[in-house]
Amino acid sequence: MTELLTRTGVDGTVVPAPAAVEPDRPEEAAAASRTRSRSWRALTRGRGLVGLVLLGLVVLAGLLAPVLSPWDPLQQVPGANLLRPGGDHLLGTDQVNRDVWSRTLHGIRADLVVLAVGVPLGALAGSLLALLGTLSGVVDVAVQRLFDLLLSFPTLVFAIALTAVIGPGTWTVVTVIAVLETPVFGRVLRSAVLTVTAQPYVEASVAMGAPRRWVLRRHVLPNARDPLAVQLALSLSLAVFVEGAMSFLGIGVRPPAPSLGSLISDGIGYAESNVAYVVAPLVVVVVVVLGLQLVAQALGRAARGVR
Amino acid sequence: MGRYLLRRLPSALLVLLASSVAIFGLLRLVPGDPATTLAGADAPPEAVAAIRAELGLDRPLGTQYVTWLGDVLTGDLGRSYLIGGQIADLVRSGLVNTLVLTAAALLLAVAGSLVTSLLWARVERGPLDSLLTSVNTLALALPTFVTGVALVLVLGIVLRVLPTGGTPPAGFARDPDIAVQYLLMPAVCLALPASAALTRFLTEALRTELAAPYVTTARAAGVRSSRLLVAHALPAALPTYLTVLGLQAGGLLGGAVLVEAIFSWPGLGQLAAQAIDRRDYPVVQVLLLLSVAVFVVVQLTTDVVHAWLDPRVRIGGLT
Amino acid sequence: MTRLDRRTFLAATGAGLATTLLTLPGCRSAVEQASAGPAGGPTHGGRIAAGILTDLVPANFFTNSSLGVTTVVGLAFESLIRYPNDTVEPTPRLATSWELAEDGLALTLELRRGVLFHNGREFTSADVESSIRAYADPRWNGQLRRTAAAITFFDTSEPYRVTLGFEHPLGNVFDLLDTVPVVDAGSLEQLATGEAFVGTGPFKVTSWEPGTAITFDRHEGYWVPERPYADGVDVRVITDATSLLSSLRSGQIQLANGLSYLDLDNLPSDAFEVLTAEGAEQQLYVGTDVTAGSLADVRLRRAIAYAVDRQRVVDEVLRGGGYPINLPWPRYSSAFDEARNERYARDVAAARALVAELGEIETIPYTYPVGNPLVEATAAIVQADLAEVGITVELDPIDQAQFTKRLIGAELEGIWTTFHSWAQYTPSTLTVSAYPFNAAKNASNYRSEEYAEHADAAWRIPDGAGPEAVEAYGEVSEDLLEALFLIELAVVLPRYGISRRLSGVDWTKRNEILLTDAYLGGG
Repeated sequence: MTELLTRTGVDGTVVPAPAAVEPDRPEEAAAASRTRSRSWRALTRGRGLVGLVLLGLVVLAGLLAPVLSPWDPLQQVPGANLLRPGGDHLLGTDQVNRDVWSRTLHGIRADLVVLAVGVPLGALAGSLLALLGTLSGVVDVAVQRLFDLLLSFPTLVFAIALTAVIGPGTWTVVTVIAVLETPVFGRVLRSAVLTVTAQPYVEASVAMGAPRRWVLRRHVLPNARDPLAVQLALSLSLAVFVEGAMSFLGIGVRPPAPSLGSLISDGIGYAESNVAYVVAPLVVVVVVVLGLQLVAQALGRAARGVR
Repeated sequence: MGRYLLRRLPSALLVLLASSVAIFGLLRLVPGDPATTLAGADAPPEAVAAIRAELGLDRPLGTQYVTWLGDVLTGDLGRSYLIGGQIADLVRSGLVNTLVLTAAALLLAVAGSLVTSLLWARVERGPLDSLLTSVNTLALALPTFVTGVALVLVLGIVLRVLPTGGTPPAGFARDPDIAVQYLLMPAVCLALPASAALTRFLTEALRTELAAPYVTTARAAGVRSSRLLVAHALPAALPTYLTVLGLQAGGLLGGAVLVEAIFSWPGLGQLAAQAIDRRDYPVVQVLLLLSVAVFVVVQLTTDVVHAWLDPRVRIGGLT
Repeated sequence: MTRLDRRTFLAATGAGLATTLLTLPGCRSAVEQASAGPAGGPTHGGRIAAGILTDLVPANFFTNSSLGVTTVVGLAFESLIRYPNDTVEPTPRLATSWELAEDGLALTLELRRGVLFHNGREFTSADVESSIRAYADPRWNGQLRRTAAAITFFDTSEPYRVTLGFEHPLGNVFDLLDTVPVVDAGSLEQLATGEAFVGTGPFKVTSWEPGTAITFDRHEGYWVPERPYADGVDVRVITDATSLLSSLRSGQIQLANGLSYLDLDNLPSDAFEVLTAEGAEQQLYVGTDVTAGSLADVRLRRAIAYAVDRQRVVDEVLRGGGYPINLPWPRYSSAFDEARNERYARDVAAARALVAELGEIETIPYTYPVGNPLVEATAAIVQADLAEVGITVELDPIDQAQFTKRLIGAELEGIWTTFHSWAQYTPSTLTVSAYPFNAAKNASNYRSEEYAEHADAAWRIPDGAGPEAVEAYGEVSEDLLEALFLIELAVVLPRYGISRRLSGVDWTKRNEILLTDAYLGGG
């Protein structure tokens, strides 16, 4: 199954998929608590901890944006055109005299909303579709081909077309991310289901007449949790990318509200006047993505039992 | 094997057909049409109507679809009114640019991953391992628009050592030294995540090989470890590496869309963006269909290779 | 940035094929690549390299709507007459002299002899007829189509004389003759497909690679002796403003069309010159749908006109590349009137008072096309200005294709911002040619018998510059200021960035760059 080997990233590059998880022993309850504590340990030390701290800082900055911002992110300060960092403006001002520091902080908020809604939505839709596929072979084939179709469209082309249909805005970005993540999560879950159901003890319990729902709850879901968690961390960083790329192409969060992507795409054009305008959001994106990757790695290692 | 392929073929064709309908339909849902784009803001309605008739947009949608599909199947891609020229020519020149960029990126990715992996496989712990892990993580995770913008900012605007975009004015063949400088930034930007992914696979594979009993025996017999790595572990790890490489190549083509936008590289991605912008239906349709076809072929190939490697898939038909 | 630094950097990029190539002895930098040119006054030879931001769209050949089109028309084509940039008084080009009939219903033009098309064929009166007829064809969508369509009779019995017969007197016929490029009659079909561009201009198109480059060679049979100076022009399509800037700065191109005003401001003046194309004015405006909600009340439109800070747009967005206006006319236009042009100077108190009179105002959508930083920044400023006086607008950026469709269909419900043109000609041209002002049907859904009559009356005065005409333009101006369906913000002047190595660059009123007298010097 290729989906175990690779996953097509939103920008079309193929990146390694989270490793398939070896199924746990039949004693699910104990196994579940073991994975839980293992994941917890992974996140409280080493790279997991570093990742969490990085993410925490950015999330905190976003949540506290109104407190930390000396200016209203939309306020146009008379005469303060493209100032360099310093004085009243920590990171200078933009082309219509707004404070870059305040806009960057509020831009984080916009991205948090997109991430917190879009990715879980996609994860939910993908998982449900994949589970639907376990009901019958025909449905499974149909769902698989649907995933193929969704994956085969170049991400950004799809985003451009969808935006043209429903208009730009935060919810369009959320929709694009959700639709893109649906097949990704669907495939992860399906792999987990196939791996688990092929296990002798599961076959045995099915043969003994265990109801489908019971098998799903006791065997499949606990084992799918780890790869899904890893995928969630990876997908969040892909979502940062989608938001950024869409804003870069001018179809992202609706102005004048800032987002990290729109700040980068606007800022690069004014780099010669105020370089902080583009550097500040760039740094934030790097920190977020790095944090998410570290968390994903820590979770992935924990799931494979590597310390 | 042939039988397996035969079994997978109908559904692949179905995906293609379904997507051709989806593409055609989706495009018509997009507000704004080629006639108004062509006519421009100063145009009175009768001029728009004249252009609509000329482009054949006043015919029923079903007729338009069937005519278009028939033309494409007989190899006639049509002409672009909004960009100008034969679509086949536009696609060809875009394809050349995209392929040059992708090939350069692939070359960089392979060279980068080979060098890094051979180094990395031998250090399983310690500061070097940590350093390589973080660099690898970053390279894998950074969105291309971030690396792209950062490269343009540092090398193109602040230091001014490389051109910030475009293709070499004299083409690729005439001034190769100039051409390389135009290629460097977009290719590095495109290669980075692919190279990181390849490095990770290869390093894992090399480590697995190095842990195999025959290596331990050879090492005990006094064979130098660098020789073991290059002469034994590397060839053994190569088949997996090549499979992943094939997948990466397909992925790079798709990843080129944004990289082309950042570096204004006139490839297929730029062509697609331009065509969507102007609602140039025939061009968008051909490009989207092409990308779906590439995806389907890549998918089919990997499935077939997989089936070939794993008889259970072939018989069970899980995929 | 010294040369040493670059070397150091290149060496430091380390392993890899690229570096091996780069550090070869005698390596050249793509950033510093520039062809050497001779020093001194006008010299023959050399190829001029130019960069433009948007490519050619052959189907838009007669609409001067992209920099690719204006570049091709300016270099490879010529018109019958030419307006100097700051007046509308015709000077000879392919026509050497002309005479308007007493009744204003016919115009006879004497044509220049010995003018050759790029394919070697001689230019005659038949080419005038075919070019004007093509321009009048709806499928080419030329903006002066109504004027071209009012020419109903052509006498081409003599090869070097043509008589044009009009349906009614045409005050702006010379605008048409200045605008229509004369095209070889036999190549019109190939023009539509971009396969051939055959004109009489100083340079001929030798190749066009869509999205990449347009190449021109010297037209050896050009009728002006000793011109052009240059052997050819290599135009590169560089769709990214940052790349366009760096190409100019590094000397890969000597002329850049499409740079941002800010980037032009920042060009070092010892090596570069910024040309401001006076005469090729465009107007940045706020359009309103006069049938949408509160906007139906002229007081709200007046409040908007008082609220906007035009001077700030000129200073911060246009960087001085324009000036504030209340009416479309540029300063040199016969319709320009200082007092009228300042009727709605910024007056926050007056705007607030009008808003207070109106009571509750709903949130108004404010639509603009994405992708143009000038329009985007202007929209942000206008939004803030309106908020200050108590008018809430919601920004609604949409892509150019949708914007155009909704503008033409008069479906923009609320206010919008974009550019219009055609006020730099005979004033009556604007109201019969520019769609936003069209009295019969316009994007604002504005109808007025009076306005329609005034616009038409001005168009039918034979002498478009005489006192009778000026009075008629005054009435149109008053109509525009009263109705305010379109609130002008600023005149926008195109600017080109030019290397000091290139001299003699000129332009037309349609922002077409002319390189007939241009030559490469030392600089």
